[in-house]
Amino acid sequence: MIFETLEHILTHICFSIISIVITINLMKLLVHEIVGLCDSSEKGMIVTFLCITGLLVTRWIYSRHFPLNDLYGSLMFLSWSFSVFHMVSKIRNHKNHLSAITAPSAIFTQGFATSGLLTEMHPSAILVPALQSQWLMMHVSMMLLSYGALLCGSLLSVALLVITFRKNIDILSKSKNFLIGSFSFDEIQYLNEKGSVLQSTYFLSFRNYHKYQFTQQLDRWSYRVISLGFTFLTIGILSGAVWANEAWGSYWNWDPKETWAFITWTIFAIYLHTRTAQSLQGVNSAMVASAGFLIIWICYFGVNILGVGLHSYGSFTLTSN
Amino acid sequence: MGPLSYSGAMGRCMTRNLLAPPLLQPALRTTHLSFRGRLLAIPAEKGPLFKIGCKFRTSQDNKSRQVDKKIVIPDKAPSVSEDGDGDKGIDSKLQKSSGIPYLGFLKKGSRKVLAVLSNLPLAIGEMFTIAGLMALGTVIDQGEAPAYYFEKYPEDNPVFGFFTWKWVLALGFDHMYSSPIFLGMLALLAASLMACTYTTQIPLVRVARRWSFLHSADPIRKLEFADSLPKAAVQDLGVILSGAGYEVFSKGPSLYAFKGLASRFAPIGVHLAMLLIMGGATLTAAGSFRGSVTVPQGLNFVVGDVLGPSGFLSTPTEAFNTEVHVNQFYMDYYDTGEVSQFHSDLSLFDLDGKEIMRKMISVNDPLRYGGITIYQTDWSISALQVVKDGEGPFNLAMAPLQLSGDKKLFGTFLPLGDPNSSDVKGISMLARDLQSVVLYDQEGKFAGIRRPNSKLPIEIDGVKIVIEDAIGSTGLDLKTDPGVPIVYAGFGALMLTTCISFLSHSQVWALQDGTAVVVGGKSNRAKIEFSNEMDRLLNNVPEIVSFNDSTQGMSSQSETTNITFPE
Repeated sequence: MIFETLEHILTHICFSIISIVITINLMKLLVHEIVGLCDSSEKGMIVTFLCITGLLVTRWIYSRHFPLNDLYGSLMFLSWSFSVFHMVSKIRNHKNHLSAITAPSAIFTQGFATSGLLTEMHPSAILVPALQSQWLMMHVSMMLLSYGALLCGSLLSVALLVITFRKNIDILSKSKNFLIGSFSFDEIQYLNEKGSVLQSTYFLSFRNYHKYQFTQQLDRWSYRVISLGFTFLTIGILSGAVWANEAWGSYWNWDPKETWAFITWTIFAIYLHTRTAQSLQGVNSAMVASAGFLIIWICYFGVNILGVGLHSYGSFTLTSN
Repeated sequence: MGPLSYSGAMGRCMTRNLLAPPLLQPALRTTHLSFRGRLLAIPAEKGPLFKIGCKFRTSQDNKSRQVDKKIVIPDKAPSVSEDGDGDKGIDSKLQKSSGIPYLGFLKKGSRKVLAVLSNLPLAIGEMFTIAGLMALGTVIDQGEAPAYYFEKYPEDNPVFGFFTWKWVLALGFDHMYSSPIFLGMLALLAASLMACTYTTQIPLVRVARRWSFLHSADPIRKLEFADSLPKAAVQDLGVILSGAGYEVFSKGPSLYAFKGLASRFAPIGVHLAMLLIMGGATLTAAGSFRGSVTVPQGLNFVVGDVLGPSGFLSTPTEAFNTEVHVNQFYMDYYDTGEVSQFHSDLSLFDLDGKEIMRKMISVNDPLRYGGITIYQTDWSISALQVVKDGEGPFNLAMAPLQLSGDKKLFGTFLPLGDPNSSDVKGISMLARDLQSVVLYDQEGKFAGIRRPNSKLPIEIDGVKIVIEDAIGSTGLDLKTDPGVPIVYAGFGALMLTTCISFLSHSQVWALQDGTAVVVGGKSNRAKIEFSNEMDRLLNNVPEIVSFNDSTQGMSSQSETTNITFPE
């Protein structure tokens, strides 16, 4: 009981902190350069990270197994992996756009996990026979880390597409910054995609240069993050295959979730191949990555929600064909 | 470091790269002159290949590739040791190919095929097609009877206006993952993988391994990353680069450094691992046996009776004569009543009836013997042992009643009165698992619940019933799969090589240009990290403050201006 209370408290804390962080990010966009705001949003992400970690540990302790056996647990883990990517990119001091992606992604996954949609799956504490294996930790955590990384990477690609296909970048109150050259990519943030103040063509060439630089940075970061996610995905799928050979009798069963994971893998393999050809780089590869974004969601949710195949652990009983 | 040091360094680097193709092993060192002529002939010969070739994992643009070419074929004649090491591979290959001239015509044709197969858009198209077919396979229900598809995809109401059961059945989409179209696409992809590895990846690795100093500042300045350090010594840069994990080679005013060369080899490894997995999967499809059996506790079966071959390569082994005896089947439960684990105690007996193995298997813990694997996959209840009014025990066979939902339900019936009359009434017994049995009286009313083994009698319609035991049967899957070792080898290789592929091959050139050092570099994957790293490293290069010149702050590394480096 005490664990459940603790879990609730932690959920609420990190949910509200992420909301605050996002609000701060929005404010930074509108009224930039407020001293301390940036700092506080960073601290907020650290606290969020600690809270989600605490939440997962709590669940681990009271369910006595790695808390990844249901959709709720996996969503929380996904949220955690977003915050991990955020932390890692901060620790390595990369000035990149990941933070613009990770914080909203973390809040959306958490919001979905804690929303009423999944309440009946929430208290699940038992582990069905097929999941009682050391592979659970390896396979599921790798898959979710890869989903997290691939989602981040493909969102960067989506941002690239949006920016490329718009006539002008939103400058809002930033034209001064442009002029003095202290253009901060961190601040344009993902809301660049949403705001839509069109400027006339005064600084077009100048801005085009920045736009070019910005899209190139987006492109390169999305490539890096997707490569990382692809590595995780490969390890995740293969460890899953080894596990399936222990539990289900074959390393590949063409189960819907397996198939969709393979489709995801194929799509991102295509992405990596498009990167090798100069003619296909940029917009084309970004399109592939954006398609990958949809496919990850189908892979992640489609199968769980329809409850088909061997991976439907919400309602799993030991059955064979 | 003098020129002598590199043959040793390259040797080290080769032993470290286990994935290096054998062609790259030190061999055949021909004279440089003849080789140069041949080398120049390669781009002309392979030009079209390069243009349309799939160029796997070279994220360099044309500019940088031209730089590569410049490096390879410098105008000035380099010393022998500079290019020789890197080009031996191509050289030996050329010798090999020139050894079979009578196959010229055939070679031309096969080269054309290779060029088509290694075409990147084709490979991408293949992958898209495979992904699409797989997606379609999850949308269309697989493995149903034709009647199902007649109903689901009727001709009078086609999906998307054209898609009817005729399509499904004609194209084999009712068994997508073994349909000729899907398997054909996979075979085509495998062919593309091989062609691409052969025509594009291996030459690219050769290009990457080939390296040399740049002797003029211009090509260095044209690199992706370029900087110029005034008042610095190229030797200091070398020390700092080697501290950062680079292999550094320097000669006179020139410096070359690289790291992460393994990531150039890794994509080849990825392709080979994919081929290995595909090969293993083919062997699995062609040479395995499978079968499943439901055995009541206490009975036995012969392995060979259960297993059925899956392909033309399936050959039974000695172990198929093994007899399996199910000593016991039981389930573990959580406190909430849900099943936590299934256990079957199996004994294997050889032809002489000698027990050769005994193991308690459960889900995730199969039994392996002589290439045969026995999995715990299913269960059911075979019978209830019932004592009726002190008589018995009788074995009442249980029948599965409802298998459509998630839960299983088994039922049996104990007739009361004359069993030959037309309307027999009796006691119904239902069970969801081996824990408890629900009993209903003749009218169908709930009578009570009893646990097997509890010995607690229940009296229904004047009959005293004791449920002695519930006998479960275990559902076992058996298989032999000769493809597994190959597939696992492929898995291991694929994991390793994708991880290595994440690394980036970074190269740095530098040249002492008077008192300044011109530095340039490029990296194939981590472009941003590379330029950040280079900025950081260059900041650490000490500035040489000469005695008569004390002007400070000229350079970008103002923080290190106070470090004086003895010259």
